[in-house]
Parts: sequence; C-alpha cells; structure tokens
Amino acid sequence: MKLTYSKKPLREVFGETLVELGGLHSRLLVLDADLNTSSRTILFKERFPDRFIQCGIAEANLFGIAAGLAAQGYVTFPSTFAAFAARKALDQVYVNIAYPCLDVKIAGSYCGMTATECGPSHNCAEDLAVMRALPHVKVLDPGDNRELRSMMHVMMATPGPVYFRVSKVNAPELFPDGHEFAFGRGHLLRQGRDIALIGTGFMTAVALGAAELLDREGISAAVAHMPSLKPIDEDLLGRLARDTGALVTIENHRIYGGLGGAVAEVTAREYPVHVDAMGLGDTVFEAAPLQDLLRHYQLTPRALAARARALVERKRKGVAAGSRRRVARTVITATTAALPRTP
Amino acid sequence: MKNPTPDQIRALDDRAFAIRRLCLEFITNAGWGHVGGSFSEAELLACLYGGIMNVEPKQADDPRRDRFILSKAHASPALYAALALRGFFPVERLQTYCRLDGLDGHTQRGQCPGIEYSGGSLGTGLSYANGVALGFRLGDNFASRVYCLIGDGECNEGQIWEAAMSAAHYRLDNLIAIVDANKVMAKGKVSELMAVAPLADKFAAFGWTPIEVDGHDVREICAAFHRAKFLEMDGRPVVVIAHTVKGRGVPEAEFNYHWHTHAPSPPQAEAFLRALNQTYGRNETFSRPLSAPSDGGLEAVVTADLGWGMIPSVDAAYSVGHTPGGSVGNSL
Repeated sequence: MKLTYSKKPLREVFGETLVELGGLHSRLLVLDADLNTSSRTILFKERFPDRFIQCGIAEANLFGIAAGLAAQGYVTFPSTFAAFAARKALDQVYVNIAYPCLDVKIAGSYCGMTATECGPSHNCAEDLAVMRALPHVKVLDPGDNRELRSMMHVMMATPGPVYFRVSKVNAPELFPDGHEFAFGRGHLLRQGRDIALIGTGFMTAVALGAAELLDREGISAAVAHMPSLKPIDEDLLGRLARDTGALVTIENHRIYGGLGGAVAEVTAREYPVHVDAMGLGDTVFEAAPLQDLLRHYQLTPRALAARARALVERKRKGVAAGSRRRVARTVITATTAALPRTP
Repeated sequence: MKNPTPDQIRALDDRAFAIRRLCLEFITNAGWGHVGGSFSEAELLACLYGGIMNVEPKQADDPRRDRFILSKAHASPALYAALALRGFFPVERLQTYCRLDGLDGHTQRGQCPGIEYSGGSLGTGLSYANGVALGFRLGDNFASRVYCLIGDGECNEGQIWEAAMSAAHYRLDNLIAIVDANKVMAKGKVSELMAVAPLADKFAAFGWTPIEVDGHDVREICAAFHRAKFLEMDGRPVVVIAHTVKGRGVPEAEFNYHWHTHAPSPPQAEAFLRALNQTYGRNETFSRPLSAPSDGGLEAVVTADLGWGMIPSVDAAYSVGHTPGGSVGNSL
C-alpha cells in the first residue's frame, strides 16, 4: 500500500490547531521562547496576540511562567525545541509542572533527528525517555497530521501535563478523516503472523514500508502505531506478543528509554518475547538532511526488514534467549556508527 | 497598615516570636528542617499574614486573594507556622512536618490551605510569580497581588534574573518580590561564596523599584509594603530588600551556616528557646514535650522483615543515631 505524504508539515498543523483551539477555549495561552516561526506558534500569535506570551530566550523562565499561569486556571502551551524542554529546563518542568500536576501542554518541536542540519546540540534523541520518567506527564508522538490535531483536542479536554512531539516533517497520511486519538491507545495498521513492527511518530511509515518488503519474501509482519508512549497500549502489545512472538520497535529517538524501552517494559512483565529496538544507538544525531540521517542511522524500511528477518529466523530456530546477545550486539554496533568527523 | 499602632506592632512582634517558637518545636520533633532561614523571615511572614496580604482562611480559594510564593521553599517551617497562626489549619498539624502524609520539607502546592506553590529547586519561584501576575492581568483581576519571597543566596541562580527581566518587560506592578537578605547561604557567607551585592542596584538596572528595609523591624516592613502598594500602577515591579540575620534571635545560630539545615536536639532546642526569650524579653515555653525522632533506616526495615528486630516509631523519643551533642537530623 503506497502512502500519500502530506504537503503540510506537522508543525504547520500544530500552529493551525492552536489557532482552532484558541477560538474554542478562551483560557488557552501560548508561550514562546523566541522560536515562534520555527515552531509555527506564530500562527496563534497573529490570531490571538493578547494570549501569546513571549518569554525571550529563557527556557527556565518559560516553563515557570507557564506553570504560574496554569495555577490561575489557564491551559498553557509553552513551546520550544525538544532539546531545550527535555534537557535545558528539565528541572523547571519537573518541579513547577510535573510535580504539582499542572495543566501545561509542552510541545517539543525539532524532536529526535528533525533539527537535522542543526546537529547534535539541537537534535534531541532523549526527550521521550526523559519525559516518560517524570511523574504525571503523558508522552505522545503523533504519526500524522490528523492524529496530531485530534491529540491536541483531546489534551485540551484532559487536565494535567502532557509532553508531545512536533516536527517539520511531512508525514504520511496514516489515518482517514475522523481518526480519533486516545491516551493509551495504539493502532494495528496491518495484520501479520510472523512478527510485529511497532512504530511511533512518523517512523511508523518506515515500519509500514518494511512490512511491505517482508511481505514480498513471504514474511507476514503486523504493524502497530503507538502515538501514546505513556500511557502505552498494554493490551495491544500483549496481543502482538502472543500472536507473533517477536517484536521490533522503531523510533526517532535513542534506543534507551523511548518506545523500545516502553515496549520491553510491558512485554518483559506481561508476555516475554523477543524484542529488538531500532533507533539511535549510543551516539548523537549528526548534522545532515533528514534523508541522509535516516539512511546513515539505518532507520529505513530495508534496514528494519533485515532486522525483522533475522529475528523471525531466530524465532523459527527456537534460539534460546541466552544466545541472543551476540546477534543483538552486532546490530547495535551497526546503528551506532557515527558519521566520520572532520577536525 | 501604613503606620501600625503600638498595639499592632506588639501583635506583629508576638506573631514573629510565635513563628520562631513553633518552628523550633516542630523542627526538633521532626529531626529535620531549616532553622536559620525560617528565623530570618519570621517578621516578614508575620507582617504579610498579619495584615499586609489580603488572605482569608475561610475563603482560601477566593480567586481575588493575594498569593504568596515561597521561592526559598526550604524555609517552609516559618510559612507553615504563619499559616497555622493565621488560622489556615490547626496548629496541631505542624507536628506532621516531614512525616508521610504530613507537611512537606519543601512546600507542595495544595497540600494544605494557603500553600500556593511547589518549590524546593531554588530560582524557580519568581518565574512562577510572573505567571501568576500575568494570569491576574489576563483575567482582569486587578485586586490581587502576588508576593514572592526569595533568598539573597538564591539570587545566584540565573533564572532569578530571567524572571526579573520578564517582570519588568511585562510591567508587572502587581508583583512584589521580597529578598530575605540574610547574608548566609547553605555553606557560607553569600559575599564569600558568590557575592550578589549590590542587589538594589541590580534590580533597579533591571527596571524594578527597590525598597531596602530592616527585615526584623515590623514598622519598617509595613511601611515598605504600604509604599509598594502606593507605587503600583507605575508599571515597575517592586522588590523589598529586607536586610535580615540568618538565625535571628538565637546568638549561636545568627549568621551561622551550620544552622541552615539542621535540627536541634531537644536540649539544644530548650537552650535556643531560652536564648529567644532573652533576646525578645519574654518567658515562653514549648507547648508540648520535645522528642527527637529516630530513623532506623534500611537496617531496621530489613531486620524487621526477617524477624531480627523492630522498626522504631519515629514519634517516640529514641536515642538511636544521636551524635554526641548534635542532633539526629540529617544535615544537608
């Protein structure tokens, strides 16, 4: 099945949906730290200048102000790059927002490798892990434009802190009109018997592509999309584990603590099966265009299909869990290869 | 209270004394707490909760109330005491300080009436107060003010100056910052570890109106807050820089960083109360017996489960863990 890619990047939908929600909810405020043309909160600023608060290049202050406003009954959307929300202002996000459980919806733009040419200082391959570890915070990575829009409507109607990812990526249309996001709900996009490929964010498109490749060689791969990383759809994961016996996750994030970690946490407890995680290894996302990054870090349908094929083979041979280590190590080394550096 | 009457001054001084006495009592019984920073802010809190702020325990959720943000949230004991004395909750509840389901060591928003802010990480409160002040304005609430108490050592934090910048930028004249300038931080003097002086000039340069007062003179404090209200509407946020003494009232604890985070043992607490009585010419006693708690820690829990020991009650007077002449409390 060939996917149609939206002409409109996710961040544009983010900006437009803020405007839409702003028209519906007078207590919605948007806060910015000098990035509104990148994040597209500028759309809200132009439509509702009185409800747009510029905090300057001061992310700690951004989240503190957002919290103080939320304490007055406002629903605040402070927005900055994922790197600055999850790394620079983590303490403020924890103490002022997560701990008192305030109604703050944090949009982390330029998430994962999508700061592309900005390189390792701006790319953020740890936001999902960091935010997932905070109390009370729900963590989301939308797969397409409709899902992002629905997600924002749902978070508006749900009190409490949310971290959600936004990027400048043109996402494929995964869902038809009327698609509804729900916290803790995943979506089975393709049935399969031999293995399940699990994606989050726009990386689900890679999983769908890999399933197509596997199908051509007679491997039946299910594909699931997990927009809600916390809470995560434990029922769906349990079913996939039981029905296929082998899972591969793929994410725009380091392999530690993101989707792969979340899936392994659930399956290890509920239904232990082989789980392999694809994403960035123990290194950084270098500066390059998105397509080069995807290829370099082997986050492509072909690479995922290869990993899935190997896992299916091992499952068929009934390889014991103890002998798994060598295979896994080889694969991780391949993903962690850094681009050659010039002095 | 522009010019409090002699009776009002006496009442405010009584309140400040009661704050110190209560703090001493429940910090000792908890075995943990910040004596120095609680004593330095006692008069400030006595004034704020003794007539300056528009707060009413019976309407603790009134949206038009004033808000108090304790950014130096480690000095929560004096705030808890001030709230209890003002009638926000029974004084008895102070004994739950640092117990499970009790009052937190650092403040936790909504944990008890009157606590508006979850704090503990220094430098974050003034940004939060910016948000509160902006919220008042956006909600057409011109009645409320937000008071934010920060420490002078806390002004080492860069975020304080981010917030100082945005408060001036947004002309938040409904925000009143108060610096409890007690000259001492956790491990030494502010001037030696990381100097912040001249604070008034710094805030003025950021677009604020600074007012400097003796932070232990309730008459000066009341006059400063009166002036802060009077200055409202000129667009500049006001900072009251209160020159105080860390550990004020107990000579041994004054300007002594050892008493930043430290709980006195019961005999030490008795000696401290005698010193307070001497400083302020009173003759008061504790309203309950003092007992230092003990924490058997990991060993107690493990051995209890294996049937080799018992978990001591933290509310009973045990001598386990006493250091000679010191307290059983943790010292940060």
